Amino acid sequence: MSAGGSSRTTSAGRLSVLVGALSVPAFVGVWELIARSRIVNAVLFPPPSTVAVAVLDWIHSGQFFGDLSASLFRVTAGFLIGTAGGIMLGVLTGRFRLVSSLLSPLFHILRPIPPIAFVPIVILWFGLSEAGKLFLVVWGVFFTVWLATHIGVQKVDRGLIRAAQMLGTPRRQMLTEIILLGALPYIVVGLRTAVSISFYTLVAAELAGAFAGIVYRIEIAQQNMQTGQVMGGLAALGLLSFIADRSFAAIAERAVWWR
Amino acid sequence: MVALMQTPLRPTPPLRLVDAPPQPSSAAQEAIIRVDDLSIVFDVPRGEVIAVDRVSLAVLPGEFVSLVGPSGCGKSTLLNAMAGLERPFEGEVKVAGEPMVAPRPDIGMVFQQPHLFPWKSVRRNIAHGPRALGKSKTEALRIADDLIDMIGLTRFANAYPHTLSGGMQQRVAIARALANQPRVLLMDEPFGALDAQTRAVMQDNLLELRDRINATIVFVTHDIDEAILLSDRVLIMSAGPGRILRDLSVALPRPRSSAILTDPAYLALKRDCLDLIRTEGRKAFEQMEAAT
Ligand SMILES: Nc1ncnc2c1ncn2[C@@H]1O[C@H](COP(=O)(O)OP(=O)(O)OP(=O)(O)O)[C@@H](O)[C@H]1O
Ligand SMILES: [Mg+2]
Repeated sequence: MSAGGSSRTTSAGRLSVLVGALSVPAFVGVWELIARSRIVNAVLFPPPSTVAVAVLDWIHSGQFFGDLSASLFRVTAGFLIGTAGGIMLGVLTGRFRLVSSLLSPLFHILRPIPPIAFVPIVILWFGLSEAGKLFLVVWGVFFTVWLATHIGVQKVDRGLIRAAQMLGTPRRQMLTEIILLGALPYIVVGLRTAVSISFYTLVAAELAGAFAGIVYRIEIAQQNMQTGQVMGGLAALGLLSFIADRSFAAIAERAVWWR
Repeated sequence: MVALMQTPLRPTPPLRLVDAPPQPSSAAQEAIIRVDDLSIVFDVPRGEVIAVDRVSLAVLPGEFVSLVGPSGCGKSTLLNAMAGLERPFEGEVKVAGEPMVAPRPDIGMVFQQPHLFPWKSVRRNIAHGPRALGKSKTEALRIADDLIDMIGLTRFANAYPHTLSGGMQQRVAIARALANQPRVLLMDEPFGALDAQTRAVMQDNLLELRDRINATIVFVTHDIDEAILLSDRVLIMSAGPGRILRDLSVALPRPRSSAILTDPAYLALKRDCLDLIRTEGRKAFEQMEAAT
């Protein structure tokens, strides 16, 4: 009986793997059929084959890699700068009462403002320059990482700190090792959120006006009624942030190496 | 209250557990730990808590002294003050002649929880102290390896703390504290979280260890057996606010092992000790009742 049960579970498992593998192709197939059946407007709702052609054109024209690298640069640089700043200030506000009194109220007021709301002022300050786009991504990432670090630092086991003090740990090593690693599990959670935030601020930054970038290309295609290109851009953006999230998850699992 | 502390409870019975003779001033001068009229007060939302109330004591170099008392009586607070982790509200703590204002590496501490650095292997946990004090990496790891052999965890040198049992973790914590070769080792219920068997083994280990290292040890416990087995002197504290009620010398011969736990003389000692705690505890309780 148990053998029958287990074989049934296995076959159910196999079935769900099969269905899972078919999920996307089935969706694409149905979409193709509907689009070709002229139930819908093919200009607004082009079939996947049209989207694929648009993507191939995009790649062949050489613009794709320019757009990809522009977007990747903004996301990566913004993420790294925002993360570095967030961790540094999070350790300081989490550890030092005075720094926290000075900065935390300010940060708590600024943090809830959606970064997209800063687009108009960023355009006033930076025009359409690259700095303005970086600013938006950094802004979004910074507050998330700062808060996660701040909380993480405050939750570091007091016992660990005392043990380190008893062993003569110098002040600097206390911050850079005991406090930072003690808070790392919290920081990593903050960083994962920051990955998706960096993509969503990227969208705002490129919509605000740019000269290259995946979202910029989507917007141009929309203005030219190239719906296939719009959808190709969306797919590329989705794929990109999916890969970023997954690789970050893999890194995060190893980041807290002692668990 | 001061009068109460000085009144002997009863004539000293012919037991080998005796009130410590008042220390002559010359001995008091060579004491390695001196606590003078120490009070420690904590601010809490509803006022203040007196955790330690005018405690004075002295520990001689090489002595093993236990602090025994009910939960919440201020044992940890007193120990933390000796470690420089807690500042005096009144009075003073001096170790090796220097007032304690901050932790010092010549004073080691083993906490009730092991508090090992979870991101470091056993070896690197133990090497942390020597490294922090500026020893070379090779030197620090050599010290660590020696200590790992001593605590019998050679096979686990590269293991991470969470893969070890509670007893093993606590042995690592002890080794880590010893790595800086402290003159004073403070131990706050180091075996409190262990099961009875592991605990007995750890007590034997500590007795053995003590002969090899040259440290003065102050040991907090609320286990009377443990205190008598390990110590030269047992200080019995009242229920909070913490005061020292009695200062008893344990005149049992050394080397000791847990075999003495069944010795009739030992049992007599223990009974006497428990009576003392019960009587004093009741007194303190009645005093508290009267005060409110
Ligand atoms: N950081 C703190 N803030 C406020 N009150 C404290 C603090 N630390 C200790 N206390 C109080 O001081 C008193 C003594 O605490 P302490 O931890 O020294 O007791 P203990 O004798 O070690 O108890 P146990 O045997 O349970 O460990 C208790 O009433 C406790 O509530
Ligand atoms: Mg305690």
